[in-house]
Amino acid sequence: MMLDEDVELLEGLPIAHIKSINSIVVADMHLGYEGAMAGEGAFLPKVNLKEICREVKEGIARSGAERVIVDGDIKSEFSKVSVDELNELHGFASFLEKEGVMPVLVKGNHDNFVDRYRGAFRMEIYGGHAEIGEYLFLHGDKEPASIKRRTRMVVMGHEHPAITISTALGRREKVKCFLYGRYRGKGLLVLPAIGYFSTGMDVGAAGHGMLSPILRRGGIGSMHAIACAYGSTIDFGKVSDLRGKI
Amino acid sequence: MIKKARTPYTEEESLEVLNGYVREWFVENFKGLTPPQRYSFKLISEGKNVIIAAPTGSGKTMSAFLSIISRLFQKSIDGTLEDKIYCIYVSPLRALNNDIYRNLMRPLDEIYESIRREKGLEIMQGSVHKVTIGVRTGDTTPRERAKMLVKPPNILVTTPESLAILINSEKFSENMKSLEFLIIDELHELASNKRGVHLSLSVERLGEMIGHDFVRVGLGATLYPLEEAARFLAGYSGGRERDCIIVDASWSKKLDLIAVSPSADMIYTDEKVVEELMYAELNRIISSSRTTLVFTNTRSGTERVVFNLKNRFKYGDEIVAHHGSLSRGIRFDVEEMLKKGEVKCAVSSTSLELGVDIGMIDNVVQIGSPKSVTRALQRIGRAGHSYKATAKGEVIVLNRDDLVECAIMLYAALNRHLDSFNTPRNALDVLAQHVVGMSLTGRWKVDEALEVVRRAHPFHTLKEEEFLSVLNYLAGSYVELESKKVYGKIWYDEKEGVFGKRGKMAKVIYMLNLGTIPDSVSVDVFTGDKKRIGSIEEEFLGNLKQGDIFALGGKLYSFDHASELRCYVSEAKTRTPTIPPWFSEQLPLSYELAVAIGNFRERLSDALSGYNKKHGISRMAMEMEIPDEASAILDMLPIDAKAKEAIFRYFEEQLLFAGTVPNDKLMLIEQTKDTTGTNYLIFHALYGRRVNDAMSRMAAIAMSDLLKIDVGVLVNDNGFVLTTEKEAQMDEKIVKGVMERITSENIFPVLKANIRRTELMRRKFRHVAARSFMVLKNYKGWRATVRRQQINAQLLLKAAEEIDPDFPVIRETYREIFEDMMDLPKARDTLRMLKGKVIRYKFIKTPSPSPFSHMMITFGHADVVLMKDRQERLQYLHRLVMSRIGKEMERRVARHDA
Repeated sequence: MMLDEDVELLEGLPIAHIKSINSIVVADMHLGYEGAMAGEGAFLPKVNLKEICREVKEGIARSGAERVIVDGDIKSEFSKVSVDELNELHGFASFLEKEGVMPVLVKGNHDNFVDRYRGAFRMEIYGGHAEIGEYLFLHGDKEPASIKRRTRMVVMGHEHPAITISTALGRREKVKCFLYGRYRGKGLLVLPAIGYFSTGMDVGAAGHGMLSPILRRGGIGSMHAIACAYGSTIDFGKVSDLRGKI
Repeated sequence: MIKKARTPYTEEESLEVLNGYVREWFVENFKGLTPPQRYSFKLISEGKNVIIAAPTGSGKTMSAFLSIISRLFQKSIDGTLEDKIYCIYVSPLRALNNDIYRNLMRPLDEIYESIRREKGLEIMQGSVHKVTIGVRTGDTTPRERAKMLVKPPNILVTTPESLAILINSEKFSENMKSLEFLIIDELHELASNKRGVHLSLSVERLGEMIGHDFVRVGLGATLYPLEEAARFLAGYSGGRERDCIIVDASWSKKLDLIAVSPSADMIYTDEKVVEELMYAELNRIISSSRTTLVFTNTRSGTERVVFNLKNRFKYGDEIVAHHGSLSRGIRFDVEEMLKKGEVKCAVSSTSLELGVDIGMIDNVVQIGSPKSVTRALQRIGRAGHSYKATAKGEVIVLNRDDLVECAIMLYAALNRHLDSFNTPRNALDVLAQHVVGMSLTGRWKVDEALEVVRRAHPFHTLKEEEFLSVLNYLAGSYVELESKKVYGKIWYDEKEGVFGKRGKMAKVIYMLNLGTIPDSVSVDVFTGDKKRIGSIEEEFLGNLKQGDIFALGGKLYSFDHASELRCYVSEAKTRTPTIPPWFSEQLPLSYELAVAIGNFRERLSDALSGYNKKHGISRMAMEMEIPDEASAILDMLPIDAKAKEAIFRYFEEQLLFAGTVPNDKLMLIEQTKDTTGTNYLIFHALYGRRVNDAMSRMAAIAMSDLLKIDVGVLVNDNGFVLTTEKEAQMDEKIVKGVMERITSENIFPVLKANIRRTELMRRKFRHVAARSFMVLKNYKGWRATVRRQQINAQLLLKAAEEIDPDFPVIRETYREIFEDMMDLPKARDTLRMLKGKVIRYKFIKTPSPSPFSHMMITFGHADVVLMKDRQERLQYLHRLVMSRIGKEMERRVARHDA
């Protein structure tokens, strides 16, 4: 699905493709999640990295992108880099290397201490934000101090947006979604979390508080929720129209 | 071999086997031997495995213990009694354990006293010891435990969970090497669930650990079939069934049973009036007896009845509640009051059903159907303390389906037709726990360990391949090598075929997480202004939709929305909840009872149709008297006059409205809608809920495949209901298509493929994952953190499937759903009969639900069968949302125009 002439949401994937900079963007991978959970006594099968690689690979194949931008929270733990994270970061970096694409990380609030592996993983790492082409990439946990005039769109993660739809007999089904709207006169695209175990926060629920100060500022009522699941990507319309109805 | 004991021994033969002091004590204290004792004293003294089924008040405790006590005192006199455990008694209830302890203290003291009187010298010399008894449960303090380790009691009283811990305690297991007797009480409560399955493996492991067999004694109230219970108790040895003798004294108490209807008209009488009449009837019974025990089917029901009795009839503290949510202290006080005869009426859910000593009860009243003949008898059997007394029981029914059900149930009880229990077989989650337990005690060869496991009846048919899959799973085969250290709970060398302990954490994990009762995740409930008002179970939340009204803490709330771990509600203005909070706790109606109800429906409706043919249908409606043909059938049932009238009117109404009364050989399929416009396709199916559960999903899947839509399912004891968005979707043609598509041949794969995506699968998978030690309740001080609770069971399941679709945790989830929760074999039989036209079906269209469907669309277990075509799923959801928003938009425009 094309957002505009330059930005495409790859059908059925939580991935955006930006033609002018020949990149695909993903957010909130939370590598090392299963390892962290095992430390708390939940021995989850390890599928997160595998599934992310599968989706990114498909994204690369479909878009022909040369660069993969991770818009924050590539890993899971706040306070350290655990062994599991290190292994999976390494696994992800080698996967991208094999695919012949360049990794870029815009650090999120979970990404402390990754800088020390910058060299080893040949990863380009940005602290708070990255300006690439006409796009401003940031994780979304803080508001940007300023936005350059030439920036046409802000791309962020952090929020893990999703919508929950009630179907028959009160059953509810949650699907990940993008949010797309305006922010300080620019376009704003919020990516869903690509992480396997991150099912997302229901933005359609009334009274739902936003995590990101960027979204808190203007509210998300006028933003479009664009769901991606079951191999399709469909615009469900404005969040304010969905609230309390779905 | 399993044998039934036929002829009782004489009193002399029985008493002869006892040691002189013990015999003397018994003769002094009891008037004679009760029916079970005439068998058990001798059989147990001869070292036979015995299962004793007998009602309350038949001297069950003594029948099991006396020969054992006698043997221990003989040892004492012979000077061979040591500080070792000779007998273990296991019951599922701590309260019962404390009772047994107290009840045995007296004989042990008194018998010792009489020996001391005669043999003072020897005692002073220290050769004759007192026979000791001790309780070991989760409540036992560390100090008491330490004391027990140094000086173990001769008779150890414990629970299944504590036993599982003890067999893995290196120091304590030494004390059990001398074990000669094992008593398992309340067998009917254990043989039918995973808790009992868990115990059966503990018992076999215990036998293996101490290196010799022991005498097994099983005690139970009413249960059927006893042969199966005997196998459960005795297990296997060397591949052969261990011998066991069945002592069936189940029917030694006389029964006086009746089903009572609050009103002669259960259709048109207002709900509030029915309630009023129900309490009046209850009060009549209570005030005319000394002590009445009332059973409700749920804890909240118990609370409601106590509140109403006190409120309506100005009772004080002589009316008490007793249920599992009450603190131990309160329950203990209530039991003490009952024993002292200070209670006028005790109201309980299930907690007083088991053998806790509660003194004299004149009368048992059951409110609403207990859903099984066996359970009805267990409960009513609490009345009349001595076996010579008559157990007097009244069932007050709540609605018209309940009425028919209870009438047939009591009729079956009087005719000794019990419904059978079902032991879960080859439960891999329970097995996983025990394999971890076994690994902690040393190195095992795989085939030797499997042999021990197969000695337990619930695992006798376990396949080697299943056992290996559990070993592989526990060894952490599903993660890469570096993570095995964290994931693996056992060490396993596949090539050598040996397994054993891995790391220090395994023992802690076993000790802190063993057991089979699932933890339910609770969700906090808030009002709009963020005030917390309580919590509900996640399972319950799963069934709520916006606007549903439910009760919490005595008030009614309307459900607004929910986030991950919070549920938001607003105070409801109406007075009736739309969701009965108790339905999820309800037990399923058994197959046997459902078919019996079907038979009755057929007979009564045949009689009525015969009458109509003779006199024309209008005559029955005009006539106030019940036709003789029908009256004769109704008179066979143990019911009061109002109940007789109410049943007749109910059937008459159905015949006049729909022309057909469905029965077990005639499935009525009714297309209809209610006043809110919801469309229903109602299947009147009398095969019990476990069969209905399977069949309803088969029908929903067929319909979903035909129409490519989601289909809602509501499963009920008397049938099931399908709902779809549009009325036209459920016409006769579709029903025909559905009936053609549901066949017995592909039932397993079809259900399996569909159940994967249901709420049911999610919920069960989470429980099985916890039992299999995949998601621990308790680990390194973590106790279900918020992050942990948020793990989405659906994702976890998907992740496990990606590793291996036959992952033991997944396999066990399906097994539990298909074998324990549903009854797939019987569902298959039923579908076969439908194909063979042994069971016929009839389609009708009604303008509003027929009388027999009213209950079905009100109460039920809800789930949704999702359309199969996943490619189109998002488009489907989109259309759904757009249609709702569309309606809203139209309304907005209309408002604007106005």
